[in-house]
Amino acid sequence: MTEKTPPHVRIFSVKTRFQEMAQRPGGLPREVAIQQAESQIESFKTDFVDWVDRELQHLTQALRQVGDGKADSAQLDEIYSRSRQLRDTGTTMGLALVTFVADNLCRVIDTVRDGAPYEVQVIDCHIDALNLAKQDAYRHVRPEQVPEMTSGLHRMLERANRYRTGGAG
Amino acid sequence: MRRPFGEAAPAVRVTIVQAADQKPRSLKNLSVNLRDLTILIADPGNYMRRVVYGMLRGFGANRILEAADAADVLSALMQQKVDILILDAKLPPQDGLAVTQAIRRNCDNENRTLPILIMTSDAQQSTVKEARDAGASMVVAKPMSPTTLYDRMVWIAFDRRQFIDCPTYFGPDRRFKIEGYPTGVGRRASDKTVEVAAATEPNLGQDDIDSLFQAARAGQSE
Repeated sequence: MTEKTPPHVRIFSVKTRFQEMAQRPGGLPREVAIQQAESQIESFKTDFVDWVDRELQHLTQALRQVGDGKADSAQLDEIYSRSRQLRDTGTTMGLALVTFVADNLCRVIDTVRDGAPYEVQVIDCHIDALNLAKQDAYRHVRPEQVPEMTSGLHRMLERANRYRTGGAG
Repeated sequence: MRRPFGEAAPAVRVTIVQAADQKPRSLKNLSVNLRDLTILIADPGNYMRRVVYGMLRGFGANRILEAADAADVLSALMQQKVDILILDAKLPPQDGLAVTQAIRRNCDNENRTLPILIMTSDAQQSTVKEARDAGASMVVAKPMSPTTLYDRMVWIAFDRRQFIDCPTYFGPDRRFKIEGYPTGVGRRASDKTVEVAAATEPNLGQDDIDSLFQAARAGQSE
């Protein structure tokens, strides 16, 4: 079956420089490339925890500035971007629990942006959970292995979501 | 809506993987030579950039640039030839998809056909489709492993999709093989504990994302 191309549509082939160069012979074999990348990541792991510590300090500081009051959008943006970075890197660095908690925190902040109240104790619980999750003892621990923590955080998110959708109270 | 944390995949997922397995299967036998290619990583997070930088160095890349926002990206693209852009979907100030559209829609831009790999923490099907419709070459879900990133680089390197230029779109051919997403595909066990009204889609697994980017017409995928 032949497809007819409308006159205003141009279809063309492109071989980009990336494709030409990437297909050259002489590159690292896949297994070696991946192994080397994993070694690079491994070498970051020692200072990752220091970085998480610093991020948590910044995060705590940002949260204290908000206090019990209503967070403005710039404050929420800062809290969100720090949480997001923790979420995006945690699992890669062997701390899946950090990703899980930070992901939940991002979702809670999303609900606040959508009108749910900013509850300090909910945020504090996430900070406490992050402080726990970053510890070496929790390296390679998966969220389903700590059901008390995960279900507690999920419940907080669920509650925030109900506020957002007008179902609370 | 959760990312996978290692739960056993639901049985129905196997069907999808089989339907879309033309490329993933062959990826394992392919490698890429990244030496002397200029790669631009654009992500607001400095640690995230560091992680991606480390992975790329491990893959053998030796020319890696970094950008923290859209202005940095557009400035880097004007100053030098970039071979591939690895771009965060939420890059400030607007987002990475707006940057993708800006690159694709500018007729005078010599980087118009630049391969763009979008990184996203939000891998809901709607987000992946938005990235595809903005002109992304491929989407990778964060957090990512070196294997995931490497295979997406291979995918782009050997992708033979044509480009489409029409009044409403410029970018890689979006006519993909979508076998359908039965309810539950990509859904994680943990989803059931959260009732979300505003955004109910589950995050897609990387296999599902790949299938959204797979060329549909015979002869294009291999």
